[in-house]
Amino acid sequence: MIDLSFRSGLAPRFASPPSGPLECDDFVTEEAGLRAMPGQAPRVAMEVEQGALVAQGTPIARLRSAPEICFVAQMPARVARIDLLQGHRLSEIVLFREPGGDPVRHDTSGADTEAGLRLLMQNAGLWPWLGRRPFGGMPAPDERPAAIIVMATDTAPLAPDPRQALTGREEAFGRGLHALAGLTDGPVLVCQQPGPPLFDAALAGRVRTVDCGPRHPQGSAGLRAHALCPAGLDRPVWDIHAEDVAHLGDLLATGILPMTRLVRVGGEALREGRLLRAQPGADLRGLAHRIAQPGAHLLLSGSPLDGHEAHWLAPRHRQVTVLPRRAAGAQPHWLIAALTRSGTPKPVIPNAALDQAFGNTLPAAAFVRALGSGDDETAMKMGLLSLLEEDVALADYVLGGDAHLPGLLRAMLDRIRTEFAA
Amino acid sequence: MTKGIWTRETVVLMLLAAYLPLAVFWLWFGGAPAVQRSSLALLVLGFWNLVFLLARAQAISLALAITALAIAMLAPEGLGTFRLVLGISFGAVMGELVFGGWGRNVVHPATVALSFLGFGFPGFPWPDFLAPVAWAAIPAALIGLATGVLPGGVIAGAALVAAVTFALGLLSQAALPAAGIVLVLLVADPVTSATTHFARWLNGALYAGFVTLFAAGWQGAAPAQYAVAAALLTSLAAPLLDEMALALWYARRRRRHGAQ
Repeated sequence: MIDLSFRSGLAPRFASPPSGPLECDDFVTEEAGLRAMPGQAPRVAMEVEQGALVAQGTPIARLRSAPEICFVAQMPARVARIDLLQGHRLSEIVLFREPGGDPVRHDTSGADTEAGLRLLMQNAGLWPWLGRRPFGGMPAPDERPAAIIVMATDTAPLAPDPRQALTGREEAFGRGLHALAGLTDGPVLVCQQPGPPLFDAALAGRVRTVDCGPRHPQGSAGLRAHALCPAGLDRPVWDIHAEDVAHLGDLLATGILPMTRLVRVGGEALREGRLLRAQPGADLRGLAHRIAQPGAHLLLSGSPLDGHEAHWLAPRHRQVTVLPRRAAGAQPHWLIAALTRSGTPKPVIPNAALDQAFGNTLPAAAFVRALGSGDDETAMKMGLLSLLEEDVALADYVLGGDAHLPGLLRAMLDRIRTEFAA
Repeated sequence: MTKGIWTRETVVLMLLAAYLPLAVFWLWFGGAPAVQRSSLALLVLGFWNLVFLLARAQAISLALAITALAIAMLAPEGLGTFRLVLGISFGAVMGELVFGGWGRNVVHPATVALSFLGFGFPGFPWPDFLAPVAWAAIPAALIGLATGVLPGGVIAGAALVAAVTFALGLLSQAALPAAGIVLVLLVADPVTSATTHFARWLNGALYAGFVTLFAAGWQGAAPAQYAVAAALLTSLAAPLLDEMALALWYARRRRRHGAQ
């Protein structure tokens, strides 16, 4: 049974030129954008004016609801444009790189206590890299999760290998894990591909290693949470990428939060792939510059499955997908259109590919039916609260995009949140 | 953006590919009458699908070819055009189209049509199947399993129970050809069979159990007749089996992860 679930999943292939070896120098794009994850627009209070010069790590904006949570500058820069929506909601803040100046050094003396560690993570700008389930977004400043899932594997197509990101940083990773264990009473689960241990065995105890299979969606945080420690309304589960945990380790040791991460640039519209260290919020055009094929293309932040067209790399994303921009096809003949399209979406037919797209961890066809019919209670019983859009992206892809699963899931989560908040 | 392939019509195409060996052998041995019956079924089903396309904007699905094949293969013989048209119309409209087309139906339209014809007009002889046609159900099942459109649990569960009852002498050899063809065509349909792993095994086992029961106790019934009756009862029970399997799954998760 365990072995079966280990092999489950799919390996969708997307054309991409191979990416060369990891580029030695950090690649910091000339422009970068501060933004929230797609679909979120938190209310912020600005800390700096437009045109100000900021050092790396300087707080640029704070959450209005929790002023200790900062969005910080990823590089020494000049604040070029501040774009807020109505009600001081963050749309994007554009920075132009201005080399020089030391990165902001944080005082780590208080990090031995839980409150001090939280404050350090929030002030240093690491908090937005945390994910939470149910409902997604970043956790509230004082939330205690039931478990923390550390993703040291990424099975999404064209994703960089987190093991490579951790090479030579085992000590920092271990330090970060130890610190994370202080934020929860539950387990800290390190999901990895089978292989040598990533951290010192002395940490064992609440920090546990979980081996995942090589196929998608085994390395997606939602399905891992679903299988290991389901999230509930009063049982939040956090997830964080292993590289960010190593960054936390460095932050604790030096007081400086490293601001580059391993990013893979892949996709069909490239002449050559690229593996580099870039800052979060990096300019996607900068990353794809000189390696994209001529002609119109589409820059996605994220994998080909769940990526979205964007200007800046999203705070939690580690891959850029460049696809050719296909011209909208000609309208089908009216008779063909009448025969094949209808007002209601086409039904989902249960098949083996759909079961595998959820990694065989939940009754796929019944879950998709519950999503489609808006049956909140059944979907919650099946583990809806552990899942986010990115976890059902593969199933949506497999079903040909007809089912609109991410949209249905988001609508259902929003409905449940308002219902239970009342 | 890029898209996967497993839309409704892809599943239908894979099912058609799976049923191709069965259809070819049956038409080869059935000759002109077989072609005539399937053409009639196709025509009637096409008409009703067109009506629902125009009246309710329900997209037409190639699945009507599967329904037509199943009805043409399994319907009682010598019914005459009028009764056949009546039965097919009832099956297509009440079994499938009023629910919103193929993929939203509860019972296979062919099962409904065949039960209607069988119970409505008793006395007409049910078809017998030649050995080559019955054997063709095996490649059909294999293609369906390899492409992942036929539920493996249903076929495996039915095969398992059939093997056991056959070994115990409860199931006669005469029942096997028709039961196998009905299993592949009607019972293992991905839409109307159970959708959870455990329920699929139960679904197949239940079908084989019904066939064994009817073969032993239903005096004077032809193999095709009781296989279709077993298929009807099984597909009516499929949602219940799913609920049972889900209840077990919920209980197991509650035990493992605590109440949520």
